[in-house]
Amino acid sequence: MRVPYSYLREQFADSEPILRDIKGLLESTQFTLGPPVAEFEERFARLCGARHAIGVGTGTDALFLSLKALGVGPGDEVITAANTFIATAGAIVQAGARPVFVDVLDDFNLDPGKIEAAITPRTKALLPVHYAGQPAKMKAVMEIASRHRLPVVEDACQAITAAINGTLVSNFGVAAGFSLHPLKNLNVWGDGGVIVTNSQELDRTLRLLRNHGLKNRDEVEIFGYNCRLDTLQAIVGNHLIRDTEAITAVRIKNAFALDAGLVPLVPRVRLPRRLPNERHVFHLYMFEADDRDRLLAFLHEREIEAKVHYPVPLHLQPAGRRLGYKDGDFPIAEKQAKRIITLPVHQHLTRDQVQFMVDSVTAFYRR
Amino acid sequence: MGHAMRVKYMDLPRQFEDGAVVAQVVEEFKRCQFVLGPQVATFEARFARACGTAYAVGLNSGTDALFFALRALGVGPGDEVITVPNSFVATAGAIVMAGATPVFVDVNAEYLMDPARVADAITSRTRAVIPVHLTGNPADMDAIGPVAARHGLAVIEDAAQAAGAAIGDRVVGSLGSAAAFSLFPLKNLGVAGDGGVLTTTSREIFDKVMLLRHHGLRTRDEVDSWGYNSRLDTIQAIVADAVLDGLGDVTATRIRNAASYDRALAPLAPHITVPPRRPGVRQVFHTYVVQAEARDRLREFLESCGVETKIHYPIPIHLQKAAEGLGYKRGAFPVCEAQSERIVSLPVHEYLTEAQQQYVVDRIREFYRR
Repeated sequence: MRVPYSYLREQFADSEPILRDIKGLLESTQFTLGPPVAEFEERFARLCGARHAIGVGTGTDALFLSLKALGVGPGDEVITAANTFIATAGAIVQAGARPVFVDVLDDFNLDPGKIEAAITPRTKALLPVHYAGQPAKMKAVMEIASRHRLPVVEDACQAITAAINGTLVSNFGVAAGFSLHPLKNLNVWGDGGVIVTNSQELDRTLRLLRNHGLKNRDEVEIFGYNCRLDTLQAIVGNHLIRDTEAITAVRIKNAFALDAGLVPLVPRVRLPRRLPNERHVFHLYMFEADDRDRLLAFLHEREIEAKVHYPVPLHLQPAGRRLGYKDGDFPIAEKQAKRIITLPVHQHLTRDQVQFMVDSVTAFYRR
Repeated sequence: MGHAMRVKYMDLPRQFEDGAVVAQVVEEFKRCQFVLGPQVATFEARFARACGTAYAVGLNSGTDALFFALRALGVGPGDEVITVPNSFVATAGAIVMAGATPVFVDVNAEYLMDPARVADAITSRTRAVIPVHLTGNPADMDAIGPVAARHGLAVIEDAAQAAGAAIGDRVVGSLGSAAAFSLFPLKNLGVAGDGGVLTTTSREIFDKVMLLRHHGLRTRDEVDSWGYNSRLDTIQAIVADAVLDGLGDVTATRIRNAASYDRALAPLAPHITVPPRRPGVRQVFHTYVVQAEARDRLREFLESCGVETKIHYPIPIHLQKAAEGLGYKRGAFPVCEAQSERIVSLPVHEYLTEAQQQYVVDRIREFYRR
């Protein structure tokens, strides 16, 4: 049975309503920061239970601009997890600062117990990642941050509506970056990102930074960037944001069905612990597996498009090694990189496809 | 005075009114390749061919195209980059973004970098020169190039307003180490959102920019060097490809409109100064900028007659609040500053009718006759 990873054709099988609005845009031609952007920002802020949302070009830029708005720059250090998507560290480097990695926990998120040892006088911010859609241990992270008076920027690129004890991500730190990349739970038809903050001052700075520092058409208050969410993408976002709750619910249901099916395979597979007070939104369904590479090949043979996010931790990438990191620096992230596997968990999976994935993993280990 | 007529600065809705672009978007979108789909490469190849360069790379904006050119050339903190103070702020913004310091030189009567002033601005920290083809008029590359070469400086063309402009048969985009184009909606080649293109004939710059725009990813899993996320959306590449078909006609119409303005307005000297011309240079008139006596009152009068005009730009970059830290004062660039008090951009777009243009000219004549 084919179980593809991408579901965009299914998701957009009927895109008439979106295309109708895009036709309207081609008539109004308000392509740059048109009214749909403000409308989307308002909806996005509401969805996050936060005060301000600022539409930007990408999730990467959302993190980068947040760091810039906090004054992070050359000579500074920012602490993040060693196992994230490259853009988290890329955004730190883009701001002129140096990424300082810490190891992770069994849930693939940064280990708060390792943060303090990584803090130096040059540390300017903490950048925890809500990896795969699982919120990081924010209570512990925030305690450390406040003890050291460090601002926290949440990398929520994969984690829209994830929560801890009912508090939605983006409401822990001073700002949070979200991605609207086509494969995200809330997606658009190209690149897009959002910054969420409860600080009015950051909101104002970020709106300047994303649009050349322009206070109005003619006055430039600060040198800025060109990082705007296209009106066209905001139109797509306005349609899809209505479905985010429903899409997330299906992903969570699929994940729990996979959990139930895979639990009998422990200890050949290791599932992250699911805590009832944490809402994981399953952008990715990841677990650790014995004999991972052969399992991956076995699943591919069965036309299950399993993936690995990601096989090489950031500190062991050529770009990371140049920062002085080496094998053995982050043993848990390194061990996980060899064992992790990601199964499709998207909202267009059928019950049969979910069962087929469970049966296939089971068959692999029972051979 | 005849009956009033509305003359908008640009008639953007006309650009997409035949629905062909929408149809194409719908057709292509069945494939759902939203990020770096094949249409991006198709557009890049066509754009490179149009510029006579080996490579073109689709990016998120013209600003990013300038920034990536600087990054690919290794420009960074501590370095200086020479440019002009009368451009859109993004020219200087891209330099600041790279961590370098913008160093301005004054402009000439054509609103372009004055090549005679470049040498004086060069210091031991200067790494590059960014001449701006402002209004769609190519800067004097034949004079700037040798100065830069003598000092070992790279030349990056800011061609954000100048798609299709040329000096003789040499098209802008191919006249320096790299060039930056904008696909912003109001440009002669405009898409339905933000977009930009970098052109170059250097394989090395091309390779670097291809990595930089996509997180430094050599493959899905391998990160060679830290990068950025700045990709031309597939959907905008589809629009750009469609719009590129019409660029020749758009440019020809703008050039014809500019020539009619020239003929009609030149006799109004010294009240009005029409754009200077150099023989053999193809200006593509992204903007048609004249200098006008009593500029602000003229604009008000035209506005009251239904004619929309603009100023590109009323506050030179060195006098912006953002530039306070650079240490420039009023009087630093007298030519640019004097022009900023007198310049006005008249509607020159491809949808302007003869009657509308005549109306604009008549109103300007009327203003100065009063």
